Amino acid sequence: MALPLPQGLVPTEVAFLCEMEMVTVVPRQRLESIPLLSGDTPVLRPPHRAPMPLWLALLLKKQRRANIVPPAWLHPASLADIIHHETNVDPQAFSPPPPPPTRADGRTGRARPFQENIRSSREAPKPGDDPRLAPPFLPSCTADAPGGYLPYHWLELAEALLAHAADDVPAAAEVRSLLRDLQEVRAAKMRGSTQSLEGGGGVVVLRGVGAMELAESRAFVLGVVDGVRKLGASAEATRRDEEANGGGGRYGGGGGRGDFEDSDEEMEF
Amino acid sequence: MSYYDLDAILTDAEKVPCKFELDVPDLGYLDNNPSQGLKAQTPVSLPLWLAELLALSSRTQSSNPEDSAPFLTLEMPKALSNEVVSALKADPRAVALRDQTHNMYGLATRMLDLFEEPEMCAVLRRTFVTRAAETALHARKAGATDDVVRGEGFLSGLEEWERSLFRRAHDGNKACKEWMEGVKK
Amino acid sequence: MYGDLGNKLVHHAKRAQNLAHLPPYQTELVRAVTREVRDLEKDLADMLESFEGGFDPHADQAKSCTMLVNHLSIRRNKRCLLAYHRTRTDKLEELVWKGYDLVDLPGQQVSSNSGSNLAATDTSSSSLSPQEEDYVRQYSDLLAAYKGQWTDIDLTGSLEPPRDLFIDVRVLKDAGEIQTEYGAITLTKNSQFYVRQGDVERLIAQGYLQKLG
Repeated sequence: MALPLPQGLVPTEVAFLCEMEMVTVVPRQRLESIPLLSGDTPVLRPPHRAPMPLWLALLLKKQRRANIVPPAWLHPASLADIIHHETNVDPQAFSPPPPPPTRADGRTGRARPFQENIRSSREAPKPGDDPRLAPPFLPSCTADAPGGYLPYHWLELAEALLAHAADDVPAAAEVRSLLRDLQEVRAAKMRGSTQSLEGGGGVVVLRGVGAMELAESRAFVLGVVDGVRKLGASAEATRRDEEANGGGGRYGGGGGRGDFEDSDEEMEF
Repeated sequence: MSYYDLDAILTDAEKVPCKFELDVPDLGYLDNNPSQGLKAQTPVSLPLWLAELLALSSRTQSSNPEDSAPFLTLEMPKALSNEVVSALKADPRAVALRDQTHNMYGLATRMLDLFEEPEMCAVLRRTFVTRAAETALHARKAGATDDVVRGEGFLSGLEEWERSLFRRAHDGNKACKEWMEGVKK
Repeated sequence: MYGDLGNKLVHHAKRAQNLAHLPPYQTELVRAVTREVRDLEKDLADMLESFEGGFDPHADQAKSCTMLVNHLSIRRNKRCLLAYHRTRTDKLEELVWKGYDLVDLPGQQVSSNSGSNLAATDTSSSSLSPQEEDYVRQYSDLLAAYKGQWTDIDLTGSLEPPRDLFIDVRVLKDAGEIQTEYGAITLTKNSQFYVRQGDVERLIAQGYLQKLG
């Protein structure tokens, strides 16, 4: 144990958490239900698809007892779409995360949690007993997950599948190179994300950023934000004093205006 | 800023130009002249830990802050002079901050506490953010190696805050790369 | 000037922060800074004594300025001394958490990644002051007592999430017999075992075993 502990999750921890993501497997052998802490696993009957946590799916894959169905967003066409979105449609922001599951009519069973799947593996899902799950707890890596959106654990899951189940991923080589491109594009955005602090222009939007990307850049981004805060601290204190004393009285001398604008932005962190 | 923070302590040791407002016979050593005694208005260069409180405390018995007289008056250190600030305004990346002082931003925040300099504050903020992005780019290029080269060019000019940013960015990249290489096993 | 020596001490501490091992304790420098504080304190006392209790800071401004400078120098030195020692004790605590014993620490040149070169340099002089050695001893006891409350969790174990529960290891140094859930294993040099990671983590950290693959 090394002290002091790093801020937030480190990459290996993020990858470990990703192993709890649900993926879809196609069993090659029968397997009875296993009682796990997270609930009982579904009974595996070839060739019926079933949801499994990633770590168990990988284990079954290594033992040649199951194949993994990659999620739709991992297909080359979907990745190419996302890259197009990142570079051409909205070159500033990250591509949006998967939309929340629609419930009312068009329910697709996408948001079904683990336990319910077991119960309903043979019967039709009962509408209405579906607890709402929010990202990042949605099963966004199963075969039902929508294409064209990167889920929270996109990079970790893609790497794990490519490393251990490459033969289940269609066009694995192409997927690999598209992932590299995507990573580069987004890493550049991450570095640039602090640029908006330059002139006092507000908050860095990190919507759609993945867990691994956060783990990689957390320390740096927080360092920049903290630095900007410290540099503006005295101006901010002056502003608050004036606000308290004169109800927003301005500086007597010239040149105070820019300073006000800066410290206004500071408040938004 | 913690009492035990080494960087804060080292920033506290940065020298600032100042002048005493009165003759002090016993302090000649501050001007490397122990036998002479220190005359008022002699320009000396004192570390912040000494100069700041002498500039802030009053030597006269007066409750009115308007006519309180400090022991000495401070000036902006050379590292934050108009020339440097103008150069930073022109191109933040072109200045080797480390050559000015190792604790450029640390010193700046201390001085901004004492002087109201909105313009300098804005320039430094822009400098910091612009150079941070550049630093992150270099950190990524430096790759997942352990031997961090900051021998030449831009990286050798990084001051302490920036060095710490470089280390943070580099460590993040490195941990990520290590994980990626480990997945295959 | 006053405070210069203290500054040197802080520079030493700053350098030590980025090292894997702990550089030698600056006995001389610490003594010199302490002496400076005592001298300053004595000057102050002498000055005050000359006024025989009737000192008015506003009447004799030059004197009060000198005294303020003296006082600030003392305060500065104190901060440097405390920060230096605090940095070192932080480092020592980190080493204790990593599982180093006091016997490992003198002249240790530990590279935490390979762990195979524990005996690289064996200088007989300790890089710790006697007080620091005592600190390590007592802190180790404290940690052991704390850890002792949980028998099935190793608080000082690795925080790295496990990839596999079982791993292959090679024995680098004879480590005797260890007890595991699956019976006793005798670890003799150059042999290889497939063992539960949790059982041998400690021995890997101490450089007895090497993790393979």
